[in-house]
Amino acid sequence: MSSATSPSIPTTPPSNQTVQSPLTLVMQIKSPAAYQELNGLLQQIQGAPVDKNPIWLALNQLRNVHFARFVFLNNNTQLAVITTYDGTFEAYINEFIDAIGDVFNALLERMSDAPPLPVQKNRDAFLAYVKANDLRAIEPFYSAYPAATVLDIQTALAPA
Amino acid sequence: MDALRVLALRVDHADAARAALGKLPLVSGAPWQTKPDCCVNLALTYSGLQALGLPASSLSSFPEDFQQGPVPRADIVGDTGDSAPEHWTDNFAAADVHVLILIFAQTAELRDQQARTLAELWKGAMTQILVKDGDMLPGQVAHFGYRDGFSQPTIDGGLPNPVPDVLPKAPAGEFLLGYQSQFSQFTYPVPQPDSLGLNGSFLALRILEQDCAAFDQLLKDAPAKFGIDGEKLAAKMVGRWRNGVPLHASPDTDAPVLEIALEALNNYDYLDDLKGARCPIGSHMRRNNPRSSPIAGGVGTNHRIVRRGLPYGPPYDPANPNDGIGRGLLGLFIVVSLKDQFEFLMSEWVNGSIFAPGIGGTKDPILGDNSNNSGRFVIPVAGGKPIVVSGFGRLVQTRGAAYAFLPSLSAVKFIAGLAGTV
Repeated sequence: MSSATSPSIPTTPPSNQTVQSPLTLVMQIKSPAAYQELNGLLQQIQGAPVDKNPIWLALNQLRNVHFARFVFLNNNTQLAVITTYDGTFEAYINEFIDAIGDVFNALLERMSDAPPLPVQKNRDAFLAYVKANDLRAIEPFYSAYPAATVLDIQTALAPA
Repeated sequence: MDALRVLALRVDHADAARAALGKLPLVSGAPWQTKPDCCVNLALTYSGLQALGLPASSLSSFPEDFQQGPVPRADIVGDTGDSAPEHWTDNFAAADVHVLILIFAQTAELRDQQARTLAELWKGAMTQILVKDGDMLPGQVAHFGYRDGFSQPTIDGGLPNPVPDVLPKAPAGEFLLGYQSQFSQFTYPVPQPDSLGLNGSFLALRILEQDCAAFDQLLKDAPAKFGIDGEKLAAKMVGRWRNGVPLHASPDTDAPVLEIALEALNNYDYLDDLKGARCPIGSHMRRNNPRSSPIAGGVGTNHRIVRRGLPYGPPYDPANPNDGIGRGLLGLFIVVSLKDQFEFLMSEWVNGSIFAPGIGGTKDPILGDNSNNSGRFVIPVAGGKPIVVSGFGRLVQTRGAAYAFLPSLSAVKFIAGLAGTV
């Protein structure tokens, strides 16, 4: 049945902006050997069942990331993290680091442009690194549902 | 304590001012054997630390939010429009507000007496430039008629919470500098030297004027305009009834058959009310303390604040609604990080609309920046269509603010002992 108590998903955004934002973080891999290690690590993480995959578990906990993927670029000299998330990255930087900091420590160890590690102890530097290396998108950022957050969608999809 | 006075002082002579601060009868964190007549606390603004002659190496070790103060950061917390700093009537953000003295007293008489004694201490060293009093209203309520102050975090290693909640204890470092914080493997940097920064906290002082007439009118109009009883709307907006009974425990009446004990008034979570049929997700209390509700970031306990404060101004008289007298809350919000606690709470939870489900396009109906009658509030109804209350204005305007450092007792000794450099 339709869940009468569900808060409805807003159909119009508060402005012509989307509540979602793009992240296109491009990191510079140290060396071919580092690429091999990164590739092995990501295969291992992503090959794990979802209840053991630390990326999956972290993003489930954060509830503000719609989609996330890792892509090697430029002949395996760069690793991109491409996500769609709600709101501003900065507001939830502390929660992001707490949920997924160890994965980023492992990735950044193998980057030539890494900020000081571990990210848990160097939070401002990690935020500055992400801001400096986030290519975002050429505006406008398209969304089929510009006003709906992860939480709106999950709540609407939950059984009544 | 039923009486509060906040004094703003200007430092005229740094050496003498430091010496005077060293003589203040400040209260310690030790548990009381008997409740004292008065408690005195000291807070210092960034310009105050400068005026007291702290070295540059020390000044630059304080966090940016505190260094900047509330004026350039007004947009972050929704101090815009009529609440913008240029309209503040209680100008605690002025550059010559150096020292804040907080006097908590059992009665207004004891407060006045304490203030007179203290003034002798700093005579010739500092000049009082602002004063603001807060006093408990008859019936132990705040200006919208609510009993207040039930919900406070329980701090690890701190005093027992008389009205405990079900949430994990806050680590000491969520409120005190120098300890493991609420975030993984992270301790907030201690302003240097340690003898100054360790065990300190930060304070957001807020003068929050409440528009009682507008709140009253909204409730009066509610049955005809929105099809909801005024008192019920009030409870839905706040998250509890005026007597303190939370909607979570008693969604339909403020007088449940089984009376709720004082110590149980804060002892609940929203995990069995995910859609807000009992307590709306957008209500003031649930926004400001979502407890374990599903929220963006996943954790509702990372941005807690300790709240102190009392109402200012005379009680609202519904027979004389537009008396032109300012009344509201003299609010003191204590944190380890102004940015990550107070400002996060104001920007994401009070004035934001994406941190929780179903609140798109809305702000906190009580505290939010609903200027220009942009207020919109959704009340989920079990088994029916939600009630949408809209077109209401901003009910709480900011009339003044300050960011200040709350030094430990040993830090006050350190400051008092600084050699003259100014």
